[in-house]
Amino acid sequence: MAEEKKKLNDKIAELDKKVEWFYSDDFKLEQAVEKYKEAAALAKDIEKDLTELKNEIEVLSEDFTK
Amino acid sequence: MVGKESVAMCSAGHEDLARVTWNVPEGHVATDSLPTFTPTDFVAVINQTLEYAYPSVMIVGEVASFKVNQGKWVFFDLKDEETSIPCFMTLWAMRQPLEDGMKVMVRGTPKMTKWGKFSFTVTAVQPVGEGSLKKAYEMLKKKLADEGLFDPAKKREIPKPLDKIGVISSTGAAGYADFIKIVNARWGGMKIVVANTQVQGMDAPDQIIRALNYFNERNDVQVIAIMRGGGSKDDLSCFNDEKLVRAVAASKIPVICGIGHEVDESLCDLACDVRASTPSNAAEMLTPDRKAEIAKLKRTMLQTRQAAVQKIDAFNVRKNIIDVLKNIKREFAVKEDYVKQKITMLEALNPEVILKQGYAILQGEIKVGNEAKIITFNSEIITLIKEIKERNQNG
Repeated sequence: MAEEKKKLNDKIAELDKKVEWFYSDDFKLEQAVEKYKEAAALAKDIEKDLTELKNEIEVLSEDFTK
Repeated sequence: MVGKESVAMCSAGHEDLARVTWNVPEGHVATDSLPTFTPTDFVAVINQTLEYAYPSVMIVGEVASFKVNQGKWVFFDLKDEETSIPCFMTLWAMRQPLEDGMKVMVRGTPKMTKWGKFSFTVTAVQPVGEGSLKKAYEMLKKKLADEGLFDPAKKREIPKPLDKIGVISSTGAAGYADFIKIVNARWGGMKIVVANTQVQGMDAPDQIIRALNYFNERNDVQVIAIMRGGGSKDDLSCFNDEKLVRAVAASKIPVICGIGHEVDESLCDLACDVRASTPSNAAEMLTPDRKAEIAKLKRTMLQTRQAAVQKIDAFNVRKNIIDVLKNIKREFAVKEDYVKQKITMLEALNPEVILKQGYAILQGEIKVGNEAKIITFNSEIITLIKEIKERNQNG
C-alpha cells in the first residue's frame, strides 16, 4: 500500500512536470497533442488512485509502558 | 532463642508472604508469643510489611512546607484538615512545579525511616484541581518560555506530501478514532504507524516520551502526530509534564499536536511544530481532501488544454502574419518589377538617350525663312530654313 502511495505521489509530481511543459519555453506545437494526451491519461490514473486508495494502519506491538 | 536466627509470622494479615527473618541480639531472650527485634530489624519488618500492603498508593492532599535541598531532594507535607504526611521525592521525579497550597495527587510508597519517622516516598506527583493545575501550568510555561522552548522561529513545517505518519495516542480513545476516520476519508495510500500509549494519568508522559524516542530513533516517519480527545483539565494535565514538553520540543521529526478541544492549551501544544485544535483538525491539516484534489486535477487539465489551445492559436496567428507578410513582399516584388520596367521604358524615352543615339531635335516653327534650333547630344545649332520638302517615309 505504501508503495502504491509512493507511486501516487510520483504520479502527481510527474503530472505537475507535464503540465508545466505547456507553460514553459520548451513548448513545441508539434509535441503538444501527444503531451496533452499523456497528461490527460496520467490525470485519469491519479483520479482513480485518489478515489480508491486506502491507508495502511499499523499498530506497533512495542510496549511503551516499560 | 538466643543469638540465633528466628522466624515469626507477621500479624499484618498476610500470613502467606509475611514471613520475616531477624536476628535476636546476644543476651536477649525472645518469648514464643512476642517477636523481639533490633530497631534496625523492626524498621525493616515494618517497611517490608508496608511495601507488601501498599506497594504503590495514591494520596490527594495539599502541599505544605515545600522545599528543595541541595538542588535534588524535595520535601513537603501532604495535608488535609486533620492530618499531615511528610513526603520525600527526588527533584528528577518532580515533573511539574509545586508550591505550598497546591492540591496534588502523589503516587508512592509509605516508609519508616531509620530514625523511626514515617515518610511517604513519592515516585510521581501531579497537580489536581483547576487552581493548582493553572498555577503549575503558568509557572512551567514561564520557565520554558524563558528558555526559548516555544520560540516560533524553531517551528518547522509539516513536509508534504506525506507517505508515512507516526501517531502517538491511545487506540481506544475517541480522539484517535476521529483522527483515523477523517484521515481515511480525506486521503489514501499513506502508512500510519501507531504507538499505543496512555494519554492521561501519571504514566502517560513517560509512555509518550518512549514513543517519541521510538519514532526518532527509527526516523522513518515524516511527522509525529500526538492525539488526544477532549477531557477535563486533570485528564489533559499530563501534556504539561516538563519532560514530555522538552521531548516534544527536541524531536528531530516535526510534531503536530491535536490535544483536547479548541479552548484547551497544553504546553505540548506550545512546544510542538504545528498545533491543531483537535485530533480531527490535525487530520485535516495533515492531509489534502481527495475530493478537492480530484476537482483541482480536473481544473488543471482544463486549464492546460486552454493553454495549449491558446498557444496553438497564437502560433496560427503568427503563421498568418508571416503569410501576409510574404504576400506583401511578393506583391511588392511584382510592383517593383513593374516599376523597374516603367523606369526602363521611361529611360528609353528620355530625349537625352535618343540624342545620344545620334538623333537631333528640331525646335522652332518650320517655315521657310524662319530660324530653327537643332539640338544634338553635344551641341545646339541655330539654322535658317531655306527649303521644305515632303519626305517619302518608306525610304
